[in-house]
Amino acid sequence: MSLNSCIQCGTCIASCPSGRITALNTRRIIAEFISSGKKVEERDEIWFCVTCYACQERCPRGIEITDTLIEARRTLVRNKGLPGRLGYAFTFLMNHAALVPAREEHVELRRKLGLPIYHAQFDEKAKEEVRRIVEKHAGSVVRWSSSPAA
Amino acid sequence: MEFFPGCMIHNRYPGIEKSIYYVFSVLGIEISPLEGSSCCPAPSITKSVSEEMWREIAERNLNLSDETIMTACNGCFTTLLEVGSEIGKDVRHFAEFLYRDVGIEEIRKKVSKKLNLRLAAHYGCHFFRPAEKKGVDSAERPKILDELIKAIGAESVNYRTKNMCCGGGGGVRAAATEVARELLEMKLEGLKEAEVDAIVVICPLCLFQFDTGQKELEKEGKVFGIPAIHYAQLLAIAMGMDVDEAGFEAHEIITQELYEKLLMGES
Ligand code: SF4
Ligand code: SF4
Repeated sequence: MSLNSCIQCGTCIASCPSGRITALNTRRIIAEFISSGKKVEERDEIWFCVTCYACQERCPRGIEITDTLIEARRTLVRNKGLPGRLGYAFTFLMNHAALVPAREEHVELRRKLGLPIYHAQFDEKAKEEVRRIVEKHAGSVVRWSSSPAA
Repeated sequence: MEFFPGCMIHNRYPGIEKSIYYVFSVLGIEISPLEGSSCCPAPSITKSVSEEMWREIAERNLNLSDETIMTACNGCFTTLLEVGSEIGKDVRHFAEFLYRDVGIEEIRKKVSKKLNLRLAAHYGCHFFRPAEKKGVDSAERPKILDELIKAIGAESVNYRTKNMCCGGGGGVRAAATEVARELLEMKLEGLKEAEVDAIVVICPLCLFQFDTGQKELEKEGKVFGIPAIHYAQLLAIAMGMDVDEAGFEAHEIITQELYEKLLMGES
């Protein structure tokens, strides 16, 4: 369903955990899109969405609110880079095949528990395969976002 | 069946994996590690950068095996289930598999140490949402985890913020940590009133948010001291696994009281 079918009932914002404490207001985002054409991807507050999907599931018009925010983020990322520590997370994905890579202490605990160490982070061939995929789709954004100047 | 650990279980909470192997051996179900698997990758934040990247990394993981792929993380479950359904792969979440395929009766039979605890169930948004893609449990009135908790002899306590998100998803923990922390505090306020022994999760990212997040709140002088554990750890212990095999070294918040109750079982 397109954003234009919104009836401004407010169910989405009433369901939104982030909306209670941040500037994120899905009902208003949609209202201003309809009335003045303000684009969703021009709003930094969409990074406050925890993607719980409560709004999308409860919207009586079946508007794909959460998915709309995620899609808008892609444009935000291309224009402004990744916010906060997200730049590092994707550098890890590119270099270690893991958004959350292991450090020595985590490897130690696996050994202690008698568990094998088999994540792609520890497999050169697998790691290279993942690195290529990240490089292809997001290499420049990742380098830009994690550089000290960003 | 092959186990897909994802980053959070392989690289942060290996005790969950240890517990899952224990549970499956008790149940007589074969499961082996999915070697060479990478980050799933995490659905919301990866899609926030590139949907193609998300799909291609997921496909690489899914194509490592022709067997059923088992996850114990709501994020991995979301990614692998959504992409897997497009390319004909069978993907399961530990909790819904236990409930639907093994069954509460069978679990109850295999429990050798009843754990008489007051527990707070936290499902995690991505266990059942978006519903049309998941189809595992009702998002408004879920019951799977509550039933699983009762199966080990514990009480699933109702609490004011039960349906609330942990606040750690969607990249918010990394993009705006203070927002994640504030949401967690709201969630914990409701939990505190219920006076539970622990929060039970079925996702290591929720676990990380509850556990590390509480540690961060403590630095601001806000002490809750409510341990968070994955249901797999709890079930394995109830089935007789040594408590010290559950990998609690990786948890910031584990109370002596909980540890002793897990050790002793129902007295
Ligand atoms: S719930 Fe749907 S119809 Fe209601 S205000 Fe939000 S987007 Fe509009
Ligand atoms: S998905 Fe995002 S916008 Fe929708 S209710 Fe959850 S936090 Fe709010």
